[in-house]
Amino acid sequence: MKSLYNHFERNIFRFRFGVIGLFLLITAYLFVHATQIRLDASFEKNIPLNHEYMKTYLKHQQNFGGANNVLISVCNTEGDIFTTDFFTTLRGVHDQLFFIPGVDRIQVNSLFSPSTRFVEVVEDGFAGGPVIPADFDGSVQDLQVVKANIEKAGIVGSVVSDDYTCSMVKTSLMEIDPQTGEKLDTLKLAKQLEDEIRNVYEKDGISIHIIGFAKMVGDIADGAKGVVTFFAIAIAITAVMVYLFCRSFTLTILPIACSLIAVVWQMGVLSWLGFGLDPMSILVPFLVFAIGVSHGVQMINSVSREVANGNNPKQAAQLSFRKLLIPGGVALLSDTIGFLTLLAIDIGIIRELAIAASLGVALIIFTNLFLLPVLVSFVRFDQEEQKQIVETADHKLMARLLWKKANIVTSPKPAALIIIVAALLYFWGQYQGQKLKIGELHAGAPALHEDSRYNQDTFLITDKYAISVDYMSVVVETFQDSCIYHEVLDVVDEMQWRMENIPGVQSAVSLASIAKVVNSGYNEGNQKWKVLSRNQQSLVQSIARVPTTSGLLNRDCSAMPIILFLEDHKAETIDRVVAAVKEYRQQLGTDKIQFKLASGPVGVMAATNEAVAEAQTPMMLYVYGAVILLCLISFRSIKATIAVILPLYVVSTLAQALMTYLDIGLTVSTLPVIALGVGIGVDYGIYILSTMSQRIRAGESVPQAYLAALKERGSAVLITGLTLAIGVSTWFFSALKFQVDMGIMLTFMFLVNMLAAIILLPAISAYLWRDKLKK
Amino acid sequence: MLRNILILLSVLTFSNQLIAQNNQSSEADSPQYSEILPLASKSLMLDIAKVSDSKLIAVGERGHILSSEDGVSWKQKLVPTVSTLTQVFFYDELNGWAVGHDSVILKTTDGGETWQIQMYAPELERPLFDVLFTDLNNGVAVGAYGRFLRTQDGGKTWQEEFHDEMLVEDDRLYLQELKAEDEEMYLDEIRSILPHFNRVKAIGNEWFLVGELGLLAKSSDQGKQWQLLDEIYQGSFFDINVVDNDKIIVAGLRGNLFTSDDNGNSWQQVDVDSTALLNAIVIAPDNSVYVLANAGVLLTSSDKGDSFSLQTEKDGKAIIAGVWFKEQLVVATETGLKVVQGQ
Repeated sequence: MKSLYNHFERNIFRFRFGVIGLFLLITAYLFVHATQIRLDASFEKNIPLNHEYMKTYLKHQQNFGGANNVLISVCNTEGDIFTTDFFTTLRGVHDQLFFIPGVDRIQVNSLFSPSTRFVEVVEDGFAGGPVIPADFDGSVQDLQVVKANIEKAGIVGSVVSDDYTCSMVKTSLMEIDPQTGEKLDTLKLAKQLEDEIRNVYEKDGISIHIIGFAKMVGDIADGAKGVVTFFAIAIAITAVMVYLFCRSFTLTILPIACSLIAVVWQMGVLSWLGFGLDPMSILVPFLVFAIGVSHGVQMINSVSREVANGNNPKQAAQLSFRKLLIPGGVALLSDTIGFLTLLAIDIGIIRELAIAASLGVALIIFTNLFLLPVLVSFVRFDQEEQKQIVETADHKLMARLLWKKANIVTSPKPAALIIIVAALLYFWGQYQGQKLKIGELHAGAPALHEDSRYNQDTFLITDKYAISVDYMSVVVETFQDSCIYHEVLDVVDEMQWRMENIPGVQSAVSLASIAKVVNSGYNEGNQKWKVLSRNQQSLVQSIARVPTTSGLLNRDCSAMPIILFLEDHKAETIDRVVAAVKEYRQQLGTDKIQFKLASGPVGVMAATNEAVAEAQTPMMLYVYGAVILLCLISFRSIKATIAVILPLYVVSTLAQALMTYLDIGLTVSTLPVIALGVGIGVDYGIYILSTMSQRIRAGESVPQAYLAALKERGSAVLITGLTLAIGVSTWFFSALKFQVDMGIMLTFMFLVNMLAAIILLPAISAYLWRDKLKK
Repeated sequence: MLRNILILLSVLTFSNQLIAQNNQSSEADSPQYSEILPLASKSLMLDIAKVSDSKLIAVGERGHILSSEDGVSWKQKLVPTVSTLTQVFFYDELNGWAVGHDSVILKTTDGGETWQIQMYAPELERPLFDVLFTDLNNGVAVGAYGRFLRTQDGGKTWQEEFHDEMLVEDDRLYLQELKAEDEEMYLDEIRSILPHFNRVKAIGNEWFLVGELGLLAKSSDQGKQWQLLDEIYQGSFFDINVVDNDKIIVAGLRGNLFTSDDNGNSWQQVDVDSTALLNAIVIAPDNSVYVLANAGVLLTSSDKGDSFSLQTEKDGKAIIAGVWFKEQLVVATETGLKVVQGQ
């Protein structure tokens, strides 16, 4: 084993030109691919497609429309909608939307769709027609007619806003274009909504408000592009810090360059494999860079020390390679495996993140543990640089100021105190963490700032219309032609009524409630006939007036949704509604009449929330399982493993408490951060402990071993933690709320994991190797 | 000792079984009770009645019956039906009846606190729309397709009456022929040949009946014989009332409102600025007239119905029935019970 390792090392450095050439070729090839990577978002990627609810959703998507909708509210800012100009604009928006690829044309609905009709009761029966007459020419008389028709059609609050200043155009999007078979390009569609609708039709007196998943992701993608700036700032900060650390221009450039190569490789491979980068996972390349720098700094720290010891750069590089390949490799491998475990979660976007992150981290093994030392071996330091490196290598100042004093943490009493404080923090974190809510906690799009255009548009639409965008459909699955039976509709009606009584449900609609209105209509509009007729002919008559395009029944009437409009999509509202459906379907459902959860945007959220809740524990188990296993293998010591894992776990718990405190819910986008945090944190612990455990094994006491570890690696750990924390803290200024949140979370994780590794880890070690305490 | 315990045990088990069986059978026979839910007072309510100066009872869909002491807060009662109730009538502060779909008739003897079922016949597919009692024993219930029920024992038993005097001459002759020729077809025909009876009302010594197809009839012998009044409108009438004991008002489809100063012999149409369906006429103690209509329309008259001013409730929901209670107008609407402020 040892000889094989030596052989390996010798060969790498013997054929170092070959190694560099190979890396150069791969980098060039992958760089070309990396430049082709594009932002890519899709609705279905964000949902757990195999969840029970989503099976219902996918099964009925074609009949009842999906949950991936676009709502466009056209508003007159100078009065009500009844002006010629407004109707010209509205028609323009309707027609334009109709022709945008990806839009489900059958589902395009507005005042101008032929399916928007009114019905009125007259002496000899019904009179009705399209709300906008066929010969509409926008004249004052025509507008008066339209106004009257709108009232008769009962579409105030849905198609026309409550105050008559806005009108809605809405549609569903198709994930796959049935004609071309192509996947929907969500971001392109979002751009088209902006370019071809908002930019064309918004003008003085007319405002256009667009909401829906596609638009939201589009806006997030636009904001996420700002990440490039933050990336640049982070690189600059990192460079300055690393230079201050090693005082060598060359040794500063090399680790940063290698970490960037890892990012290029990662993006290249992803693009080569056909993956895009989701706007919500845009922080992954940055994380890869960060973890890369963390390992790179360890490498140059080691090189500096060897140079100071009188070795030439080649020898120094070779020695550092030998020393760091194992701890670095273990740390990176545990990150890789930890991230890979995220694949177990059946949500597309998390799987993509798992692939992207584990791939990136695995590639760092090559770029920073192989390429970096090989590159360093070529370096020739001039006299001045050599002097600087030698002077700073031991970081005497730091050693004197910090490490000597830091060593106190391994003395019994301070160690006990630290462990007690950590335990208290852990329990506090555990308590707070339990309050961590699943799902989205705020109205609108939580990833965007509250004052963003998208969220402002959401608030406007929620405010002006009675129906909300937050709806959930409970699909009643029955037998063919079931809706001509009173018993069936009666049960549907009962379910709807009970659900309407659940707090958080604003209103509800189903074939049953519409059939009652139609029955009343057939009886002169007399409210006393607003019942489901027991007479089958009458019932059929009522149902016949409800077209399948209404989305309230499918073609053979074997499925009909009960659409529940909710006040919001907060996690607790969703939980309450879902629980009520589950309770009532026990009482009302039969073999022939089954109430299936759930479709509609909130149905999708319910499924996602449940999937996230279910995934939380397994994910933590997998990540920790992987890290524990690798620690056991590499340290071959249970004590060492405990010393690394415990601080890590305390920090994970505190991170969850922080999420509670910041009011960040656990969603598909925030769930992986906890796993990523473990990946970031484990590096520090492994580097510190690998030196310590060697020395303890060699017979040194814990304080001695710790002091040695600090001298050898402590400065690098401290600098990396600070550097990366400062780098991500620039995200606080991001245009995306999501990135701000992530910035806070990651800053916390970088800093606190670092502190835990140099304070809590030795304190725990002091007690684990009690016999080695005084020697 | 042990033996005694065993016997005791077996007796206990046996009696438990008996109780269980009893429960089972009573459950099967007992009607379905309406669900008590928080939004009952916000659901479709179809009628409202003043039980006393301090109590209102309102009825509506799904067998909802609610009571209120102030017209603002409502309490739902446990009612042995889930059928939609269309009308409620109180003879005095204790005794009242409610009727509705599935031919349901309910009776209360404690001012609407508890209700007993007197009739339930969903298979007939004929809803009842009104009920009227002249004393504790004698009353009638009317409904769709000329349904006419009479009781002489407070509702314990009800007899069907077929009032062919409400038919035009031709139809009457046709039925007489049919009865002679084909008994079965005749029975089938009388189930649907009459118009819907929407409202029966005692005004002075006479009873008035209004309904579908411009039906307007009166009776001077408590509904045993009816006399059709001259047709004034082909559409349906939904309510009839009297103001100041001398002016009769009828309200119907599409804003049709008529008044009569001569006990229904001649009528004058009142122009109202609405084509909404007029559901009900409420008379306040000061002889103000309120006409409640669909689409949130409320017509008010301070001159005994000669002219009306129009007000539209913002929500545009149908106002179906109302009473004057504690100096305010309390109404039943398609989205529940509320107090409306007059102009």
